[in-house]
Amino acid sequence: MTDNAVSLTEVELRRPHFQLGPIRLEVPKGYVTAIVGPNGSGKSSTFRLILDLIKPDKGNIKLLGQNISEEEDWQTKSKVGYLPELFSPHDDKLKASSKTDFVKKWYADWDVNRYQELLRLFEVDDSIKLGKMSKGMRRKYELALVLSHHPELLLLDEPSSGLDPLAWRTMIDVLHRYMEPGDRTILMASHIVEEVKRLADYIVFMVHGRVLGVYEKDELFGSWHAFYVHGEQVSRKLVQAMPGQCAIEEAGGGMLRVITRKAPDAEAWCGHEGITISHRQALQLDDILAILVEQERARLRS
Amino acid sequence: MWLPIQINEQSAEPLYYQIEVQLRALIVSGQLDEGTLLPSIRELAQLLKCSIITVRRVYQDLENEGLLRTKQGTGTYVARIEQNAMDRYRLDAVMESLEAAVDAGKLVQCTKEELTKLFQEVLNRKFGG
Repeated sequence: MTDNAVSLTEVELRRPHFQLGPIRLEVPKGYVTAIVGPNGSGKSSTFRLILDLIKPDKGNIKLLGQNISEEEDWQTKSKVGYLPELFSPHDDKLKASSKTDFVKKWYADWDVNRYQELLRLFEVDDSIKLGKMSKGMRRKYELALVLSHHPELLLLDEPSSGLDPLAWRTMIDVLHRYMEPGDRTILMASHIVEEVKRLADYIVFMVHGRVLGVYEKDELFGSWHAFYVHGEQVSRKLVQAMPGQCAIEEAGGGMLRVITRKAPDAEAWCGHEGITISHRQALQLDDILAILVEQERARLRS
Repeated sequence: MWLPIQINEQSAEPLYYQIEVQLRALIVSGQLDEGTLLPSIRELAQLLKCSIITVRRVYQDLENEGLLRTKQGTGTYVARIEQNAMDRYRLDAVMESLEAAVDAGKLVQCTKEELTKLFQEVLNRKFGG
């Protein structure tokens, strides 16, 4: 179908307290892919692996069609913009404009007008020392910095952390416009439900260092529904057989709430079994994540 | 550009279908004139908070029906629609609602005569006859 901006093949990273992988992940070019997972699931490590900031123990990583850690990989990396989740304190004493002067040298496509425009949009004053900036201001400055060389690929680790609602809206808008040409790619990690809903085309679930699946966003939300069913013939035992059934709970008054990950199949099945669906509800991202985490825990226990 | 399209997240109908039905209606009802430039795929996705995969599918389907045309590099436009095709689309929507009404009647065991009588009543009321 499309070519990939990033691909990880059987990548493993072993640490005394944590194992990441084996991960197989393909990030399609031209789309926004969001990695969603609880804290400590390996999202930030995945970014660092992609940028060759840490080396995997096993596996292969391709960035914009090139194998990473080859001699001339700086050219590939200059087409990437990376916004880490946390900034190192060593440049706190620098004025923002000094950091900009240092960073821009490394990018042939540095665009000073774009940079100024982004500072204006985000209302950032780059004559302030980085250590004196508020968390949100710092984040906006760094975001302007990674966007000013027109990268082909943006890696955003929790992009909105610390942003106020207005700055957040500006960021969403800037990122949508960044994607407009159609050949650019964003890979982001987020646990802000609304952010993923607004931006993502694909959603990747990551739990305990494993990729649990890659889903097209609208298909995902169209498939995970809760059905409220009741009736004389309806029993826990019967609805266990519902296609994609993930959880059953009592909803009071003889009503059962059944969660399915295959809503269209489940609906057809109900029709076939003569079960009336009195109400249905699309699950939210955090509901889906909670179920997947629970299933993954059960798998690890067994 | 803003389009009056409403998404119902709780609906059993897939998102692409909901968007397709409403966009088609906007075109065949003449609310969107021939030659109107539609939002880009990314813009519409932003507006409706859906993925570009869904919007691309909608544009593709409506282009296959001859309601839209895409010019490489410039965007997606409302196509020229022949009058008889317009009439057909116009009546399609009405026919669908009528069929749904008849189904509702059959569900409560209405006879053909009862339904005809009801239909006449509604006509008289709405047209003031």
